[in-house]
Amino acid sequence: MRTGSRAAGVVVAASLMTGLAVPAAQADETCNSPYMTGLIKGQEDYVHVWTLGVEGLGDGSDKLVTIDANPASGSYGKVIDSLSVGGRGEAHHMGFTDDRKHLWAGGLDDSRIHVFDVGTNPAKPRLVRTITDLPARTGFVGPHTFYALPGRMLIGMLSNAKDKGGVTGLAIYNNKGDFVARYGMPSATIDGVKGDGYGYDVALNPAKNALLTSSFAGWNNYMRDLTEVINDPKAMQQFGGTMVLWNLKTMEPTQIFNVPGAPLEIRWALAPGQNWAITATALTSKLWLVRQDAGGRWQAKDVGAIGDPAKVPLPVDISITADGKGLWVNTFMDGTTRYFDLTNPEQPKETYQRRTGGQVNMVSQSWDGKRLYFTSSLLARWDKKGADNEQFLRAFHWDGSALRPAFEVDFTKEKLGRPHHMKFTAKPAGQLALARAGSEGP
Amino acid sequence: MRAGVLAATLAAALTTPADGSVDPVAAAAPRADFEPPPAGSYRLQRIQPIAEARLLDVAGQWRSLSSVTRGKVTLLTFFYTYCADPLGCPFAYVTLTKLRDRALADPRLASAMRIVSVSLDPTTDTPAAIARYGAQFAIDPRFEWRFLTARSVPELLPVLEDFGQDVSVETDAQGRPTRTLHHMLKVFLIDRDGIVREIYSLAFLQPEVMFNDIRTLVAEPAPG
Repeated sequence: MRTGSRAAGVVVAASLMTGLAVPAAQADETCNSPYMTGLIKGQEDYVHVWTLGVEGLGDGSDKLVTIDANPASGSYGKVIDSLSVGGRGEAHHMGFTDDRKHLWAGGLDDSRIHVFDVGTNPAKPRLVRTITDLPARTGFVGPHTFYALPGRMLIGMLSNAKDKGGVTGLAIYNNKGDFVARYGMPSATIDGVKGDGYGYDVALNPAKNALLTSSFAGWNNYMRDLTEVINDPKAMQQFGGTMVLWNLKTMEPTQIFNVPGAPLEIRWALAPGQNWAITATALTSKLWLVRQDAGGRWQAKDVGAIGDPAKVPLPVDISITADGKGLWVNTFMDGTTRYFDLTNPEQPKETYQRRTGGQVNMVSQSWDGKRLYFTSSLLARWDKKGADNEQFLRAFHWDGSALRPAFEVDFTKEKLGRPHHMKFTAKPAGQLALARAGSEGP
Repeated sequence: MRAGVLAATLAAALTTPADGSVDPVAAAAPRADFEPPPAGSYRLQRIQPIAEARLLDVAGQWRSLSSVTRGKVTLLTFFYTYCADPLGCPFAYVTLTKLRDRALADPRLASAMRIVSVSLDPTTDTPAAIARYGAQFAIDPRFEWRFLTARSVPELLPVLEDFGQDVSVETDAQGRPTRTLHHMLKVFLIDRDGIVREIYSLAFLQPEVMFNDIRTLVAEPAPG
C-alpha cells in the first residue's frame, strides 16, 4: 500500500475494484479440516513430516522435517529443514489452524502440543509455543487429531491421565493456545447403543451441524509392543468399537454406532448435497459408511472388506479424493496401498493395489489427486522389526491407473527417525503480510 | 446498493462459475441442512477475551474498543469499503442486514445487540469514507451499527493479531503491494462481558444459527 509516487497511486486506484476475501475451502488436500483458508489447489512446495525420534539415530529427538516437493526446485525431493523439539514424546499427528499459519503437532506419550509457524516462511518453520497443560486441564492424554475450527482447535484424544486406558474425550483450545473447553466421550446408552468412551479421529460437517468421532485404544495399548498386545487377550479387548455423532453447536452426543474393530480415520464427502462419511476399521479390516437416511437419522453400515480380513492387514490411514469418488487405503502389515472407487459409496470397489513398502502407514494426496505421499511409521512400538522396518517418505505420481515413483527420502539413512504425519504448504506467492505492506508506506 | 439487489447479484455470482468449470467442492455459500438448536438450549464456548484498543469512529473521534464490545451482545467483523468478492464482505453484509432486520422486529432484542464493522484499510477508509459507506447499513436509530477505522496500519495490526484476523496484500508483477486485500471472512460474536463466544467463517455463516446464538447470549444473566 504505497502512496509514495503518482505511479504507485495509479496501481492502487486500479486495484480498488478487485478486493478479495479468501473463502474458506470446502475440502482440503484432502484430509485437513476443510474450514480453513489457503487450500492448495496447485503444486505444493513443501511437505512437512512430523517425525518420531529414535534413540541413537541423529539427535534422537522428535522433529518437524521439511521436504521440498516442487519439481521445479533445485532441491526437489530433498530434506531442506529439520526442527527438533527436544526429547521423544511419540510424535504422531498434526493439524493447521484455520488461517493455515500455524501447525499444531502432538505427542501421544508426553501429551505436549508443539505449535509451529509455517506461515511466515514455510521453508523454515519456527517453533513458537509448546502447550503443556492438556492433561491438567482435561484429565485426558494422548492428543491425536487436530482439527481447525474458526479461531480455535478441536483436539481428539486417545487416553486419560488416571488409568491410561481408552476412555477419553475432546478438548478445544483457542488459536493463542489457551484452553477453552473439554468434552468426555459418551459412555452412557443413547437409543439402545452403549458408548465405550473411547476416542480417536474427529471430523466436521457444518452443513449438517455434525461432528463424527471414532475410537481406538488407550496409552496402555499404543505405548506397548504390538506383539505383546496381540498376545494379551485382555489387552485385545481394550479397543474401541463405536463411532459417535455429535451436535456440533451444542457439543452433545446424539447417536452412537456400533462399529467393531477400532474405526480410525474419518473422511466426509464434502461436495454439496452429499450426506455421508467413510472410515476403516483397523482390526476387522472393513470400510464403514455413516450416512443420513431419508428420515434424517444417521446409520452406520459395513460396506466391504479391505484385503482379506482373516489375515488382519491392519488398515491404517485413508485419503478421500476431493470429489469424494475415490479412496486410498493403506494396510500396514502387508505394506500395501489400495484404491477404491467410491462412485457408489454403498459399494466401494477396489480397482488398484500396489505394495508401497515393507510397512506403510500415512497417505496424503494433492488436491488434484495426481501426487501421493506415503510414510512408513505407525507407532514406535508397533513398527515392524528387521528388514521390513523401512522408514521412508515415498512420493508417487498417479495417472488414474498406476502409481509411478517420484522421489524417496530414507529417514533412517538421513538420521531423522520414524516419519509419520504429513502436511503440505506453499510459498505465499504474490502476497505480502499487511504489516510489511503497511511498513512500505500506505 | 439496496439489500435486495445485492442479494440477487450475489446469488447469481455464487451459482455461476466464472470459468464455466465444475468444481464439486468449490467455495460456495454456506448450507444449513439441519434444524438449528433452540436458543438458550446450549452454552457457547468462552473462546477469548478482547484486548483493549483505540479506533476512530465515523466522526473521527477516538473510541475504545471495549466501549463498543461490552454491555450489549456484539457481532464484529472486519471489512473494507471496496471489497467486491461475492463470498467476502458483501456476503457478510447480506447476512448481517438480515440479522439486523430480524432483531428490529423485537425491540428488546434490537436494544440488546449491536454490530461493529472495523475497516482493514485505514488508508482508504478514513472516517469520512466509512461514514459514507456505513450510512447504507446504519439506517435505523433503534439499532446500533458502528463503523470504525484505525489511524494507520501499524495501529490496526495489534487489533487484527488479537482477533486472529489474517490479512495479506496482493502484490503486482514487480512485487509491489496493491490495494487488493486477501482475508479470511470471519464474524465474531461477543458477549456483554467482551468475551468472544463464537466465530463464523464462511461455512458457518448460517443466519438461523447465528440468530439463535445471539438470543442465547442475550438471555444469559447480565454481568454482576
